[in-house]
Amino acid sequence: MKQLHAIIIEDEVDLATIFSEALKAGGFTTEVINDGAEAMARLDSISPDIIILDLHLPNVGGREILTRIRATPELAKTQVLVTTADSHLAEMVEPQADLVLLKPIGFLQLQTLAKRLGSQAREEE
Amino acid sequence: MKNLKSLLEIHSDDPDNKRRGQLLNILLLGLAALSLLVLLVTIIADLSTLETNVGPLYMGSFIMLGSTILIFAVNHYRSAQTASILFLALFTIILVLSDEPAQIVNGRSTFLFTVPIIMASFILSPWASFLMAGVSSLLIASLDIFVLDSTPGVPTMLGFFAVALVSWLASRSLEATLQELRVLNRDLELRVEERTRELEEANQQLEEANAHLRELDRLKSLFVAMVSHELRTPLTSIQGFTQMLLVSIYGALTNEQQSAVERVLANTKRLIKIVNDLLDKTRIEAGQLALHPTSFSPVELIDDVHTSMKMLAKQRGLELTSEVAPELAATLYGDQGRLHQILVNLVNNGLKFTDKGQVNIRAYRFDGAHWAMEVRDTGIGIPVKSQESIFEAFRQVDASVTRRRKGVGLGLSISRQLIELMGGRIIVASEINEGSKFTAIIPFTAPH
Repeated sequence: MKQLHAIIIEDEVDLATIFSEALKAGGFTTEVINDGAEAMARLDSISPDIIILDLHLPNVGGREILTRIRATPELAKTQVLVTTADSHLAEMVEPQADLVLLKPIGFLQLQTLAKRLGSQAREEE
Repeated sequence: MKNLKSLLEIHSDDPDNKRRGQLLNILLLGLAALSLLVLLVTIIADLSTLETNVGPLYMGSFIMLGSTILIFAVNHYRSAQTASILFLALFTIILVLSDEPAQIVNGRSTFLFTVPIIMASFILSPWASFLMAGVSSLLIASLDIFVLDSTPGVPTMLGFFAVALVSWLASRSLEATLQELRVLNRDLELRVEERTRELEEANQQLEEANAHLRELDRLKSLFVAMVSHELRTPLTSIQGFTQMLLVSIYGALTNEQQSAVERVLANTKRLIKIVNDLLDKTRIEAGQLALHPTSFSPVELIDDVHTSMKMLAKQRGLELTSEVAPELAATLYGDQGRLHQILVNLVNNGLKFTDKGQVNIRAYRFDGAHWAMEVRDTGIGIPVKSQESIFEAFRQVDASVTRRRKGVGLGLSISRQLIELMGGRIIVASEINEGSKFTAIIPFTAPH
């Protein structure tokens, strides 16, 4: 069975840990990036199955990163799950994202989602 | 009448001058009328040939009429004082020419000279009556000496001065009274002005206080929104890690640990609910809360709420039932999340204030344009006088109840505001110790 990889771009360390554990429980390997600029710099060299992207990030904002991901051909297959606490902002990015999750996001909620996405991705293989 | 009044009007800053000018105008009007009368009589006499020597009469009446108009013009365009002097001079000349010298000096026309003396005190100045008495005395003395060759009649002159004295007194007291009235009037005006200014100042202060209050209210909303947001982040982390502990991500827990962590989670959820309610409340009040209506199934909505509240009802030893009236449409349009929130709040409220018995949830068609969500309990009931205030934020019927029945009392307040945002209304019916019934009446079509 192919190991699925998830990248979590989130500056709140605690939240990143919760997301990471939830995804691991869903069968993903995970990697956390806490800074917008760092995420931007690494977009060329990564090809995860899923990116969990926070919109509110230091240095470079999540929307900019999202636009860049959508413009990168290598990441065409990557599913982007955007997280935000702002429902207005959530509506604005909806067309660009595969899924928008409105914060607060619980561990159990994300774990269930991760399991579903994992099995979905494996079926597509 | 109005035209006549405006014709007699005198424009002057000095009120005494104005009054004298107007008085003069009235006298002039009388004189003009007299002149016209003389003219008329002369014409009749002329036509009926009763009187043959009409030439001087014609001339006299025309001169009088012309002089009257001239003085009126002076009074109107120049000064009332000059006009008054001219008038008195004219009047005196007429008097002198109107009779034989003997009759003027000591006869039927003598008393006529008191008229200008009295007039002078009113149209010129109180003391002018003495001046006029002097002029009249001088005229009579002159006639005595130069025309009649006799000694001047002192008693007549004394009479003139006596009349002048009386006239002076009358005119002076009149002016003094008027002066007092004017002072009183000015005083009154000043007081009215002062009161008006005080009122304006008070209004201004109220306006400022109001603006300050609005600003404070805005800051309060902003503060609550920021604090709530800042609180939510760590609360979410606490909830997440607690859930992770419970699903044994970090190893299995002992029964005691499991139960302790469950209580941490339950309390965290309660805290999150309070923070979310506060955030909703401030958003609603700032007009920032938008509804997201979609199509939804009322059966699903009621089932969801029933399922999520079942545990709580069981813990409180109460029965929770739900039904959806069959005539209600299978699909409705509205903000499902918010409707869920409203119903949870109502059920929560029912469970909170019911110690034994049951809580029923019911959805049904209310009328042609509305459907309703009804929550009925067999609880303690709400006194009639409190049935309105329970919808105010942070309010429970009895403040001491808050401790026993958990919550800060935001649920009903938010529910009502959300229902009103949807264009609906909420009604409550209750009987003490029998129970309460809350009915949320919601339009089928969402407001735009």
